[in-house]
Amino acid sequence: MTATALQAKVHPAVEGGLLLEVADLSVQTASVTSITFTDPAGTALPGYVPGSHLVVQYGDGANAYSLTGSGRHPSEYTISVLRVDDGAGGSLAMHRLAVGDLVRVSHPRSAFAPVATARHHLLIAAGIGITPMLSHARAAAERDSEATLVYVYRPGQGAHVQEARELLGPALAECTDRGSFQEELTRRLTDQKLGTHLYVCGPAAFMDTVLARARELGWPQGRLHSEPFGAAELDQGEPFTVNLARSGVTLEVPAGVSLLEALENAGKGVPNMCRKGVCGECYLPVLRGAPLHRDLYLSEQEKSANTTMMCCVSRSLDQELELDL
Amino acid sequence: MCPIAMAPAAGTGPEAGFRGVIRVTFGTAAVPAAEGDAGMAGHDARFDAADREALASLIAVLEQARVGVRLVLAGPPADVAAAAAAAAACGLLEEEVTLLANESGRRLVFCAHCRTANTTVQGVGSEVDCEGCATTLAFSGHFSRRIGGYLGFAAHAEEAA
Repeated sequence: MTATALQAKVHPAVEGGLLLEVADLSVQTASVTSITFTDPAGTALPGYVPGSHLVVQYGDGANAYSLTGSGRHPSEYTISVLRVDDGAGGSLAMHRLAVGDLVRVSHPRSAFAPVATARHHLLIAAGIGITPMLSHARAAAERDSEATLVYVYRPGQGAHVQEARELLGPALAECTDRGSFQEELTRRLTDQKLGTHLYVCGPAAFMDTVLARARELGWPQGRLHSEPFGAAELDQGEPFTVNLARSGVTLEVPAGVSLLEALENAGKGVPNMCRKGVCGECYLPVLRGAPLHRDLYLSEQEKSANTTMMCCVSRSLDQELELDL
Repeated sequence: MCPIAMAPAAGTGPEAGFRGVIRVTFGTAAVPAAEGDAGMAGHDARFDAADREALASLIAVLEQARVGVRLVLAGPPADVAAAAAAAAACGLLEEEVTLLANESGRRLVFCAHCRTANTTVQGVGSEVDCEGCATTLAFSGHFSRRIGGYLGFAAHAEEAA
């Protein structure tokens, strides 16, 4: 075990989670590695809903990664990590893990589940967005439900291509250039039987394109599902001050530190889960000041009301915010 | 699951892969205007009632249709609800179906005591005598979209005998 892998301080996102051992590393492509975790005592792991993710601690930070298994009776958890050289450092830390290292992880969390009543699952993935789709495809195969996967990747850069081929056979369409993908997408979007649900994961711009095209072709919102963890990382933001009205405490939130982290550091932690502006758990009432909303949870109307904010990602437009805390 | 569809009679359904608006009317209801569906291809069908044959024919049309299709149902509440239940079983979402029920038309009241499906033109909140067990049934807002009818339960059951 390397000395740096396990941190003494437990990140709040993995508190009450699991302590797992790296059991296997497998290189998928030049920049993607799969990491398999098991319980050091060899016990079975909690099952999960297809499309779930795992929060893994690295150093002082923690990142969410999609689990690639079907989630039924797992004895191991596998994630695939794309190395991002100019990111916050999470993916680099994952790529440095060695077999035998211990890591703290959360319990699996479901935020991208298959629709139980769907008559067909149309899965659309780009690049590393393949990971939750692999989970969906495996679950569909196990449950004998119908799934089709359209997978876009750069030539020679496709992670899990072989597994996808074996899992899906003729139900897999591979695209390695933009033009052929646009054609394939339009063809698929205009030829799905009723009861089909669409799931998309990949870079934010890719997801936007797919969802916009689907809406254009008459797909209602209820049939469209996207994995927001594919969203781009947010910038560090400007420093600001928060005034906690009920506690009478004033805190500085420096650039690069989230309001949630600042609250936790001051012993004022609030309930939270995804820490990515998705789940809505860390909502805080705002008494004064205009938050800089960066979450995917609040509606446009709620955002413009400026009475609530998601403290995990949102910051402040004003120098000072007053919170009902 | 979508119930097994009967083969559509030749020349009656839209082409396979239809993604336009299917407008179905029951009884003498007027064909609804294509509000908000401007530019979409249309397919109209009229039935006397949402009986087994009419529903089988609707299901056959839906089986040929593709995501993007919209369904408009107009007529008495009982027929509109029965067709809506069949459409939901075929995988249509609420957002894809427009219900235009004629409020004074017939409704289905499902007896909680003998499971008979009664038809009545009485409005919601009134009473009807069950054709199966003669119980006087009250029915109000308790509506099943799956069954396409209201729950009828013994009226005045809580009053002293």
